[in-house]
Amino acid sequence: MIKRIIFLVTCLILTPVLCVAEVWKAPDQERAKERAKEVVPFVTEYKNDDQITRRISLMDTGISIQDVTDTYFLLDSPIIKKREDHYEPVRFSHKRHANLTNDCSKCHHYRPKDDTALETTRCSACHQDSFNPDHPERIGLKAAYHQQCMACHQEQAKGPVDCKGCHLQNVPDHKELVNLPDNADPFQVTAECLRCHDTQAEDMLTTAHWLWKGPSPYTTGHRKDIMHGKGTTALNNY
Amino acid sequence: MPEKDVDLKLVAQNVGHSSRASCGSCHFNGGGGDAVKHADLSRQLLEPSRSCDIHMGGYDFSCTECHETRNHKIAGRSSSVPVAEGKVSCQQCHSEDPHYCGSVLDHHLNNHAKTLDCNVCHAPVFAKCKPTKTWWDWSKAGDKNRKPKKDKYGKPDYNKKKGEFKWEESAVPNYAWDSGYMKRVFIGDKVDINADIINLTEPVGSIHDPGSKITPFKMMKAIQAVDADHDYILVPHLWPRDKEDSTAYWKHFDWEKAFQDGMKAVGLDYSGSYRWKETWMYWRLDHEVMPANMALSCVQCHDSLKGDKTCNRCHQDNRNVNFKQIAHKGTDFSYMKSQGRDVAHLIEKTDYINFKALGYKGDPIIHGGRFKQLPMGYEKKE
Repeated sequence: MIKRIIFLVTCLILTPVLCVAEVWKAPDQERAKERAKEVVPFVTEYKNDDQITRRISLMDTGISIQDVTDTYFLLDSPIIKKREDHYEPVRFSHKRHANLTNDCSKCHHYRPKDDTALETTRCSACHQDSFNPDHPERIGLKAAYHQQCMACHQEQAKGPVDCKGCHLQNVPDHKELVNLPDNADPFQVTAECLRCHDTQAEDMLTTAHWLWKGPSPYTTGHRKDIMHGKGTTALNNY
Repeated sequence: MPEKDVDLKLVAQNVGHSSRASCGSCHFNGGGGDAVKHADLSRQLLEPSRSCDIHMGGYDFSCTECHETRNHKIAGRSSSVPVAEGKVSCQQCHSEDPHYCGSVLDHHLNNHAKTLDCNVCHAPVFAKCKPTKTWWDWSKAGDKNRKPKKDKYGKPDYNKKKGEFKWEESAVPNYAWDSGYMKRVFIGDKVDINADIINLTEPVGSIHDPGSKITPFKMMKAIQAVDADHDYILVPHLWPRDKEDSTAYWKHFDWEKAFQDGMKAVGLDYSGSYRWKETWMYWRLDHEVMPANMALSCVQCHDSLKGDKTCNRCHQDNRNVNFKQIAHKGTDFSYMKSQGRDVAHLIEKTDYINFKALGYKGDPIIHGGRFKQLPMGYEKKE
């Protein structure tokens, strides 16, 4: 009997665990999220090579794109979030960037002084919290990401250089912002949204999703027209 | 208007970014139900497996990460409707040279990317997550005695309101040259009602145009009505407007009334005489991209490579290259079959995209590419 009770109690305890285990997750994204949460030991000393020496030494070791084992990262870190948290993580295709630059030293610009350490380390091994009084020469992780990404994107005239080109802004919590009575009707809700978002509302009124028609630049014979769509002329057979 | 029991205050307090669920609440249901219209968009994409769609299933992409928005205008070229507020392409992230795994094959694959749309190799079957409707015969609608039968996918072959259907799952696309532009028939446009088939939409492209690529399409084929005197497609009035509606097809099952009312609503004359015609629509397949290791292999298209053991058709045969690994290992239809997909007929298939139908003399390795003066290798000895 006791065994039975233990068994039933165990089942009860395990049920929510099993339910949680069944929640859908995107495996590659999940791995990247886990990795982004890690904080690795701070590299205090680095080998102060200039970039040419560093590049040639990396090339001489024979490191190539085939050594890129982790192809995808989410640029996100508790180190940054501790101070501020306004944006969602950035998707970063490591291998794609390795291929585009064809020069690992572009990002892996120094190596740890410790000869036994790996040749390439992650950004957050050397760049952690900003304004560290012990390492005033070291910029923080957030600055390192932004300087590295934006400077290269500008120089190459490729890739985004604006905030939203790389990451979505967190949506502000609307619990306190929204001022509505219980059982609000749709008109009250719309009016409340418009109280702040009147520009967005104006924008919305000119879109294909609102008008069910719009420009047809990829339809031959109608490339300059602006009135075709499901609400006007479009035909189908379903 | 929203459902009455929705707590709109709670909704407003929890506004957030759009998601696959929010966009999909309309777009997954095009054509009157889940996966009916878009072969590559269905509720399956809410929680897709990695091999169903690598972007959404592996990396949890939301729609607007590719379909970028600006001032509520949403980029994307639909093949089924004319409106476009910007375009989306694989190249915007993956570039024009998207193969960079460091293999000797990269160079060849990047050359292929000049002629093939990515999804030719990377999504060799469509509707592989859920069956989609590919045939819709409106002329058969209205038969109150016909009982719908379920096909091998459990989908009905008939609906009194809508007519007769066919569904396909894990189907091979139709491949056509596409420049990114479409030709369309609009309401009121004259059509050739004596043609065997009327294309309501079709890609504009040519084997001779360097800007055109071989592109996969789902074909939506149907029988629908044309005005026999005015030579245009007829628009029927289907949904009853209200309880008093006296013309809607889905209430009265009378095509004459439905055409009279429908054509009046679009401001065109109905001659009173209609014919049933077969019409086709080309729908470009842009989603359901599979993981890279599941792309088509060389031999799945190039029959000429099937017997080869090395790269010596073109290169010196003195390299340590595993030809079988790079030329044969591709979409594993046996594996897909073992996972319950309807692809038994695709195992061991070659000439996957049908070179002759695309305007080649045959396998381009033997007969030459579209802009190549010299074929790649010798005619194979028997």
